[in-house]
Amino acid sequence: MVAWGQDSAGVDGNSLEKKGKLESDYQHLRELFKPHVESFDYFIDAGLEIALMNIKPTEITDSSTGTKLRNILFFSSPDLLSPEREGGRKSMREPVFPYECRQSGGSYRGKFTAEVCFQYNDGAVIRETFNFGFLPIMLMSKLCHLRGADPRKLVFHKEEATEMGGYFICNGLERLCRLLILSKRNHPMAMVRKSFCSRGDGYTDKAVVIRCVREDQSAVTVKLYYLQNGSARLGFWIQGKEYLLPVGIVLKALVDSNDREIYVSLTTCYKEKYHRERGAVGTQLIGERAKIILDEMKGLSLFTRSQCLHHIGNSFRPVMGGMETESYSVVGDAVLRDYIFVHLSSNHDKFNLLIFMLQKLFALVDSTAAPDNPDALVNQEVLQPGHLITIYLKEKLQEWLSKCRRLVQDEMIKPNKNFDFYNLAQVKKIMDRNAGTVSRAVENMIKTGKLASSSGLDLPQRDGMSIVAERLNFLRFISHFRSVHRGASFARMRTTTVRKLLPESWGFLCPVHTPDGEPCGLLNHMTATCRVTSNFDSQGFVKDFVKIRMSITKALIGVGMTPSLPRLERAGPPEVLFVLLDGCILGSIVSDKIEKAVAHIRLLKLSAISGIPADLEVGYVPLSMGGAYPGLYLFTSPSRFIRPVRNLSHHSGGDTAIELIGPFEQAFMEIKCADGGDGGRSDSFPATHEEIHPTGFLSVVANLTPWSDHNQSPRNMYQCQMAKQTMGFSSQALKFRADNKLYHLQTPQSPIVRTTAYSKYCIDDYPMGTNAIVAVLAYSGYDMEDAMILNKSSVERGLCRGHIYQTETIDLTKKSDKSGKVLEIFAKSNCPDQNSELDADGLPYVGQIIHPTKPLYSSCNTLTNIPKTTPMKGSEPAFVDCVSLDGTTKSHLQKVNIRLRRPRNPVIGDKFSSRHGQKGVCSQLWPDIDMPFSAVTGMRPDLIINPHAFPSRMTIGMLLESIAAKGGSAHGQFVDATPFSSCSKSDGDSPSESDSLHDYLGRLLTSKGFNYHGLEVMYSGVFGTELACEIFIGPVYYQRLRHMVSDKFQVRSTGTVDQITRQPIGGRKWGGGIRFGEMERDSLLAHGTAYLLHDRLHSCSDYHIADVCRLCGSILTATTIQRHKRAVREISGLPPAKTPKSYTCQACKTSTGMETVAMPYVFRYLAAELAAMNIRVSLNLKDGSNI
Amino acid sequence: MDPQPEPVSYICGDCGGENTLKPGDVIQCRECGYRILYKKRTRRIVQYEAR
Repeated sequence: MVAWGQDSAGVDGNSLEKKGKLESDYQHLRELFKPHVESFDYFIDAGLEIALMNIKPTEITDSSTGTKLRNILFFSSPDLLSPEREGGRKSMREPVFPYECRQSGGSYRGKFTAEVCFQYNDGAVIRETFNFGFLPIMLMSKLCHLRGADPRKLVFHKEEATEMGGYFICNGLERLCRLLILSKRNHPMAMVRKSFCSRGDGYTDKAVVIRCVREDQSAVTVKLYYLQNGSARLGFWIQGKEYLLPVGIVLKALVDSNDREIYVSLTTCYKEKYHRERGAVGTQLIGERAKIILDEMKGLSLFTRSQCLHHIGNSFRPVMGGMETESYSVVGDAVLRDYIFVHLSSNHDKFNLLIFMLQKLFALVDSTAAPDNPDALVNQEVLQPGHLITIYLKEKLQEWLSKCRRLVQDEMIKPNKNFDFYNLAQVKKIMDRNAGTVSRAVENMIKTGKLASSSGLDLPQRDGMSIVAERLNFLRFISHFRSVHRGASFARMRTTTVRKLLPESWGFLCPVHTPDGEPCGLLNHMTATCRVTSNFDSQGFVKDFVKIRMSITKALIGVGMTPSLPRLERAGPPEVLFVLLDGCILGSIVSDKIEKAVAHIRLLKLSAISGIPADLEVGYVPLSMGGAYPGLYLFTSPSRFIRPVRNLSHHSGGDTAIELIGPFEQAFMEIKCADGGDGGRSDSFPATHEEIHPTGFLSVVANLTPWSDHNQSPRNMYQCQMAKQTMGFSSQALKFRADNKLYHLQTPQSPIVRTTAYSKYCIDDYPMGTNAIVAVLAYSGYDMEDAMILNKSSVERGLCRGHIYQTETIDLTKKSDKSGKVLEIFAKSNCPDQNSELDADGLPYVGQIIHPTKPLYSSCNTLTNIPKTTPMKGSEPAFVDCVSLDGTTKSHLQKVNIRLRRPRNPVIGDKFSSRHGQKGVCSQLWPDIDMPFSAVTGMRPDLIINPHAFPSRMTIGMLLESIAAKGGSAHGQFVDATPFSSCSKSDGDSPSESDSLHDYLGRLLTSKGFNYHGLEVMYSGVFGTELACEIFIGPVYYQRLRHMVSDKFQVRSTGTVDQITRQPIGGRKWGGGIRFGEMERDSLLAHGTAYLLHDRLHSCSDYHIADVCRLCGSILTATTIQRHKRAVREISGLPPAKTPKSYTCQACKTSTGMETVAMPYVFRYLAAELAAMNIRVSLNLKDGSNI
Repeated sequence: MDPQPEPVSYICGDCGGENTLKPGDVIQCRECGYRILYKKRTRRIVQYEAR
């Protein structure tokens, strides 16, 4: 019998024994943040240098003197420093720690310098160092001061002990780059899309698309369109415009070849004897299409390579920057190099790939191969922050160079300036002027998430690249780093195909953890086991892809691959299968030998010494009838998803080896999962691999739901949502934080029922709920419809108590005079009676309570010396938790952070939820004496929920949790509630596992004298009588959600009104109302409640008494009369006569017709607006008795 | 002329030393030169809502 409880108790016992937490305790947490940190490390270590090497040199020619003078610019030795204090003493480099940046609202960034080489004509190379400003540094990256710090050191530097990094600090805000889904690099994809037809006449909806990525991570997408006449066009983008080339020109321009060779290469994949056989991708139409492609060339009279290059150069010279003076063939070469299959360097490889893509395109057209699904994870990879910054920085540097070139040229043209082009110091001065824009652009990208780029960098979107890492609670914080977004453009799409959960994403993206509503299916989360391949090998060195590719090629030749150099072999599927490595055709393997070759490569993957990386993706697409295009596709590239599985065929020391697999290969692998039914596998396809644990397909958050395998699946989705909205321990370094808003739970507990992931990811450091005693019964009717009754005494003892910490940053420098002579500083009036609430420095006392509208601080202008107080915002009192003075930017007392604490104890209307998607609103705080009590123990529940919450929602996990927690607390142990554990632990010996789980929990209860099913006899607290049935009662871990009435209630009778219409305004902040709309009006009309209707829509709205002239009917002509006769009457001593009508009609020049009429003010406004359009509104006034 | 305002004491965010500043003083720890200072908790009686 498996003991569920003892398992986790053992784990926790171990961790408690250790005195302090070690670095290794948090390694699982750190692993989750690797995709961010590792990619930025790559940027620091190699990316920056590679990007600089790939920047095109610029030349400046002095045309005025007539002599050709060259100024070649290229970069070398970039230098990125750790964050340091700006303006500090030069001799000592003082490090800046992230804590300081958060407190002072600064940015965590390091100085970025690089050398630029200058060369006049063919003279000596002169190096000049340029300061490009400050680049943001990712926390925990290699340049962060906290890198490698143990928890003790982290706490010393006022960070969390668990600090994982992966984000940037910009203006005091923690921001991270979003992981975006991109199409898989260097993999030709067959696509069918309607929009391809609109490329021009004769275009069809079919194309083969490849996203080629250079060594420096910048990408160029090349599309090969199929034309109706059988030919194809190659399309690629230059500066936001698509250019289309006939494929024949490119084929001929790439290598010296003849028509015969191109024809044979294209038609290799068709052999008559294999016609309509399994895996035959070619048809006899290919020969005709090849002829059409070659005939097109004949039509253009382009026969040789040089003619084709000349043709390309001729048409592209205007768009290729900086090549205006080059010859056509050089430009043609540059086009091929810079835009066509940029991931390959050799033209022979490019030629072979183009032939392969043409064959794939023709197979797609003849439907001998199926189109690839761009929405499936198989054809996707992820955009990592480091790569994004690399390509963005590269573009910005390139832009800076061309701008400098323009500036220098402008300077040369100016006649009277004594600018000397040969004086390097003068040239440098001009270039120094806007060197700072480079890093400022990168920082702005992280600050705003917007890419200010003209080319778009071949990315699917230009904004939303970064988000704020909210620390609402720990799970929300983690989830930000594990989330993968499909792209903002898909959110607006009407079709739901992109949102679909596809089987390909099994094990990589969590099927449970996606929000419902608008971003559903677009914002996914990586599973707990999913990783992203990086540019670093297991020893932490930057991977040498050339070497890796060499060893893979060698290994493949060893298992029978025929190398393709220099030309493609004259055969094709199904006879042989092509082998592609990162989009380069290595050769072909005879289809009989391929299975053995794949198995061999997989074995080499597992051994460390083979030189083949462990994260190599071996995508073997077998021969099929009209399925995916067959071949062996190998990937070594970074940014792919990978996950570990067990390889059953390979045993190392008795234990099976762990292999890393990607989504592409997974689709064609036999992986068994201990789900009870072995995945419905038949004997003809024996499993070669096995899942490590069935929970591996769940995200971290979804893994925390106890017994989620017993719940209805949407409930688990709701729980993932609500776990991220829970109030909890958001931060352990709360004292040192200056976040705008932090939620904090005063009395959290560790859950009695927990999963293994709970201790694995150290959630106990950030607990998020309370073990509340929950009774399930209908009591007093206040628990109807998901309402719940809280025990008032429990709340008073501290159940679910919480606070909101709000930090107000007050920067008086913004109010100060620009000149800097007159300062606005914090100061207090010296009169002792005035604002005794404030301290002598004009700031509040720490610990004092501030009531609404009472002063928060007092400031004083140094010129006028008149102190003035500023009241606190908000409608509820707050405690001053912390006041910190910030002198980092200004030396005077001008900038402070005041952290206010607002107590939030549970009140009626606050939202709570269990961990099973069972949310509810507190409807009553019931006195302890009125709560039902147990007959045996006398225990009163903390919380009462309605039994109707269960039947339709089927959250059996919650019932199990209640029983298990009751048993666990009675025995004094934690209970393990890992989902699917019954399947993975049993080897089929125990009869029925789900029964035995319940049996185990039941016997846990009976051994302590409780009812087997968790029921108890209870008495009514109100009447003292025994309740007719036994009540299900036990502890359930309850979360307090952040939605609280105190933040949301809205009440108004009269108040602020709109300036123009005098109608009430909306919005809680300004004391506005909630719209009483047409449908609400209709219901009052239907009820005949005229008085109420009048009250709502008139008296409480824009009630107005207007003076209307009966004679002309106008409401706009009324004007007041100047009363001058009054003085005379007063002198004569007579009693004042009846006051005359104070209004007169301007049009009729008499006040006889003036009447007062009640009307909505908007009507008057309407009349005024109409008058402005020359339309007169006239009212026809009648006596009320005549109606 | 107004009476001189009394000085307020602060705690340094880095070394934890106590600093007493008068209005117009530079915000910097005298010991270590750190530029983030925290106000000390008041010695005044803070009355909480005791209901």
